[in-house]
Amino acid sequence: MGFFDETFDLMAPNDRRVEGVAKVTGAGKYAAEYKVDGLCHAVLVGSTIAAGTIKNINVDNAKQVSGILDIVTHLNKPLVPGLADEAKIKEARLGLAIFHTDKIFFKGQPIAMVIAETLEDATYAASLITAEYEKTDAHVDFDAALKKVPLTPAGKERGNIETLNKATQTVEAEYNIKAEVHNPMEMHATIAEWKADDKLKLFDKNQGVNSVQRTFAKLFNIPTDNIEVISEFVGGGFGSGLRVWPHALACIMAAKQVKRPVKLMLTRPQMFYSVGYRPAAWQKIKLGANSDGKFVGIHHQAKNGTSVYENFNEGITRVTRLIYHFDNLKTEAATVPLNLSTPTWMRGPGDCTGDFAIESAIDELSYKLNMDPVALRMKNLALDKHPDNGMPWSTNYINECIEKGAQMIGWKDRKPAHSQTIDGDWSIGYGMAVGAWNAGRGNASAGIQMQKDGAIIVQTAMTDIGTGTGVSMQNIAHEQTGISKSKINIELGNSNLPPAPSQGGSNGLSSIGGAVVAAVSALKLKLAGYAAGQNEAYQNAAPADILLSDSGISLKTPNEQFISYAALWEKNNLDVLEVEASSGPGAERQKYAFCSSAAHFCKLRVNRKTGKVKLERMVTVADGGKIISEKAAANQMSGAAVGGIGMALMEEQQTDERLGTLVGNDFAGYHFPVNSDAPIIEVAFVNKPDPNINPQGSKGLGEVGIIGTAAAIANAIYNATGKRLRDLPITPDKVLLG
Amino acid sequence: MRPFLFSKSSAANQALAKKNHSTQFIAGGTNLVDLMKKHIANPESLVDISSALPNKVENTTKGISIGAMMRNSATANDAIILAKFPLVAKAILAGASPQIRNMASAAGNLLQRTRCPYFYDVTTPCNKRQPGSGCSAINGENRMSAVAGYSEQCVAVHPSDLCVALAALDASVVVNDKDGKTQTIAFQDFHRLPGNTPQKDNNLPANALIRAIEIAANPFAKNNAYVKLRDRDSYAFALVSVAAALHLNGDKIVEARLASGGVAHKPWRWLAAEKYLKGKTANIANFEAAANIAIKDLKPLSHNGFKIPMLKGAIETALKQCLDL
Ligand SMILES: Cc1cc2nc3c(=O)[nH]c(=O)nc-3n(C[C@H](O)[C@H](O)[C@H](O)COP(=O)(O)OP(=O)(O)OC[C@H]3O[C@@H](n4cnc5c(N)ncnc54)[C@H](O)[C@@H]3O)c2cc1C
Ligand code: SF4
Repeated sequence: MGFFDETFDLMAPNDRRVEGVAKVTGAGKYAAEYKVDGLCHAVLVGSTIAAGTIKNINVDNAKQVSGILDIVTHLNKPLVPGLADEAKIKEARLGLAIFHTDKIFFKGQPIAMVIAETLEDATYAASLITAEYEKTDAHVDFDAALKKVPLTPAGKERGNIETLNKATQTVEAEYNIKAEVHNPMEMHATIAEWKADDKLKLFDKNQGVNSVQRTFAKLFNIPTDNIEVISEFVGGGFGSGLRVWPHALACIMAAKQVKRPVKLMLTRPQMFYSVGYRPAAWQKIKLGANSDGKFVGIHHQAKNGTSVYENFNEGITRVTRLIYHFDNLKTEAATVPLNLSTPTWMRGPGDCTGDFAIESAIDELSYKLNMDPVALRMKNLALDKHPDNGMPWSTNYINECIEKGAQMIGWKDRKPAHSQTIDGDWSIGYGMAVGAWNAGRGNASAGIQMQKDGAIIVQTAMTDIGTGTGVSMQNIAHEQTGISKSKINIELGNSNLPPAPSQGGSNGLSSIGGAVVAAVSALKLKLAGYAAGQNEAYQNAAPADILLSDSGISLKTPNEQFISYAALWEKNNLDVLEVEASSGPGAERQKYAFCSSAAHFCKLRVNRKTGKVKLERMVTVADGGKIISEKAAANQMSGAAVGGIGMALMEEQQTDERLGTLVGNDFAGYHFPVNSDAPIIEVAFVNKPDPNINPQGSKGLGEVGIIGTAAAIANAIYNATGKRLRDLPITPDKVLLG
Repeated sequence: MRPFLFSKSSAANQALAKKNHSTQFIAGGTNLVDLMKKHIANPESLVDISSALPNKVENTTKGISIGAMMRNSATANDAIILAKFPLVAKAILAGASPQIRNMASAAGNLLQRTRCPYFYDVTTPCNKRQPGSGCSAINGENRMSAVAGYSEQCVAVHPSDLCVALAALDASVVVNDKDGKTQTIAFQDFHRLPGNTPQKDNNLPANALIRAIEIAANPFAKNNAYVKLRDRDSYAFALVSVAAALHLNGDKIVEARLASGGVAHKPWRWLAAEKYLKGKTANIANFEAAANIAIKDLKPLSHNGFKIPMLKGAIETALKQCLDL
């Protein structure tokens, strides 16, 4: 019996990933792995300066390399209609007008692209290209640059922030977080093939095929339907695939230039500056409470880094208006332009950053108030309504998350004062924090194809980036139809399938679940229509009255009126039965507010002599509404918690202001957690359906697993050592010197 | 990567015959291939020496000899190593990942190049990569850099863990030069300080091969420890590391060995601290005193002052671990 045996039972249920076997056997193909006849290879050449203008690009040496087909630069390129002039570039909102400008905004910005028969030839030739520039001043140091940018209001002020001065206890502190890079295991890649002058086929790594389709339809001024995007397997995204990035356009341009299918895969070093990152952030919090622990108010100021060619505001103070009641609240924000590529959403975007500061400050306040941090939070949770828009929550069980988490970790063993539990050179402490996320839902479509034997294929364009969308669709379809899971196949990640939103913001399952339910209803009605020809009882039957099984259709009436699929198919001369249906949010959004939430607890030890932090236990309890697929959901939560460990303890993209450069671009230097950094994450769910959000009652889970994790860890370090560390990542040096 | 010719040699003299300034030996390739991909090493040809050199641990009259091509994993699991020089196994297992250790050779580990991030980025100045271009680290991101033995020219550290144990154990490096002559270099003299020639990591003669690493018999098999501090629990290069070994007579220290990684351009021996410990009682107070002696004259750079308290903690921890404290 091994780890992968079916009986292995960590989180219980046996709901296998529909794509699992294909992934672990290698049969599943990631974007770069497709075989396409006549494929050639493109490699990008990056600028060696961070700001200025290209004066001259020397491609002569590169051209001597055998197998070179062409070299694209801003001077030699197929014009992309959507980038034809400045106005169009602005409108396209691609960010970087790749190869349509001679301006340099960041180091590594593509200035040339070599297209060759083999990847090796293209890579070698790319290394021979040199350029001359007119350099201008570049700034990449967030900490230095942030001082020059003034704050502006972010949202409406509540109450009067001056009231904070009357609080019995206040905490006022600054928090800094270094930039983090998504770095999913699969590197971003595109294979582009022009099937005709206005027909394009793409194998592409992304988190939303329809968004890719729309972007390129606009850029090339061709109908959306003329672009086919295939992203059936995606090796992680964490937000890096939510945007359409310039390298994908470069690949399509290359295919146009050489009139052949072209593959372009980013290298790992390029992954550090081509597909976004979580920007560096500075925050200041002033938080106050009365002696009974009731919050008086919060003043939250935040700045995040952005690029010089786009403004990306992460929304750090959004979460300030989500979890607790603050009668007096003021939020201010600013973005800080830097000569770096544009940042983007990364798991728990904004909220994860803001939450670290808020939850650290609350912990600090709890010691000042001599109050248990759990009790302090419980006292101030906004359980009745959304604290900002005042709408009642549809459901919000954050209090249950906290209670359950406290019980699981054994919170009662925590010492109220810091530095109380010593084991040799180690100090042991407990910490906790909570996180929440506005739970959304988008319009999505799903289709079902049914065969005579009752087997169905459920389809959507939505991707499954590893979150378990596929297995969850299968579960919903099984629950709604009664058809065995073994007879339900899933097809997704292809723009030829019914359209769906991108997979992000914890909206994936919330959106597609309703579409699957709607498609099942459509299937039931269609089957009932045929059945009515054989049995009048089916006339006017509503979906809720109709039962399906592996073998046929029946009604919820005492005598069921069973008709086999075989009989229906024969009688009506059917081949494959197809239905498609859409579903989306509606009036409930005017009545209720929606949120997912989680409570994070940890127990850790800190070595006082070496600064080493070792996590002993981590507990994460989430309210994600009804849990559709427990294994996949638990996997989301534990993966996010591990991401939180990275954010808390090690992930950091360094920069060098003098050289205008990122420092380091490989996994030997950019650290994310490995197995021994993370204990087995203990995950639990409240698992109560939200009756209003969507038919299946599930709220998204992708983000809340990481929102609060870093603060829980920092708070535990304080409990262990009395060191209040407010700058992430908390590497051993900061622990030692703190 | 620049295109290159590839050949395989089955004997050392054959490999040496092919070697010149534009040829490079390749063993496990775990460092060299990365350097080629990043255009830091640009050889015209590679000679695969994986079948040309010994790959076993052998007992010799003086101690043991580790074949240059012995893989790091095999060395860490070798019965002779585990019985006589377990510190070597501990240091190896604190480095890299199982996959890399399966490929990495003993000689390659000695010759791996620094992990200074600027050295790996050909768009930045670096005296080690391009002599005379300047040192980006000395006034830049130098958190990982040296706190001793550096020069204005270069502040990089040697990244190996194995070498720290070998330095502590006074190993030596057996070298075959181009004419087939064999020469033995004391481990302490093998790696260099940067001085004015930071491009030279070590004193391996031009176009020579490492044939083996020898360790003379010693009384440190019982009480030894390797402590490595890094930004994560595994699979990261050292911020600082300490190899400690004690020869005890009852609770008296007959002899002590202390060496560190993450301190200098070469594995760093704490000779004054070793001297202090000699003849003392093995207890926490003396360990702390020794650690204080070690860190006394270190000269941190702008971003690595933390290495001083961290080294102190790591030395104390390693010495305590020698006693299972
Ligand atoms: C991600 C990563 C993490 C790592 N982490 C660690 C770590 O934590 N600790 C650690 O100690 N190491 C670490 N390493 C480094 C690793 O140990 C070395 O890359 C490895 O030991 C090199 O051995 P090799 O046989 O692969 O050498 P190669 O890459 O084949 O060769 C390296 C150099 O040695 C020369 N060479 C090899 N054999 C001989 C010989 N017999 N005679 C003369 N010249 C020779 C080659 O010409 C080349 O210049 C890490 C490496 C990577 C990639
Ligand atoms: S420390 Fe050495 S390796 Fe690093 S930049 Fe300076 S010269 Fe190069």
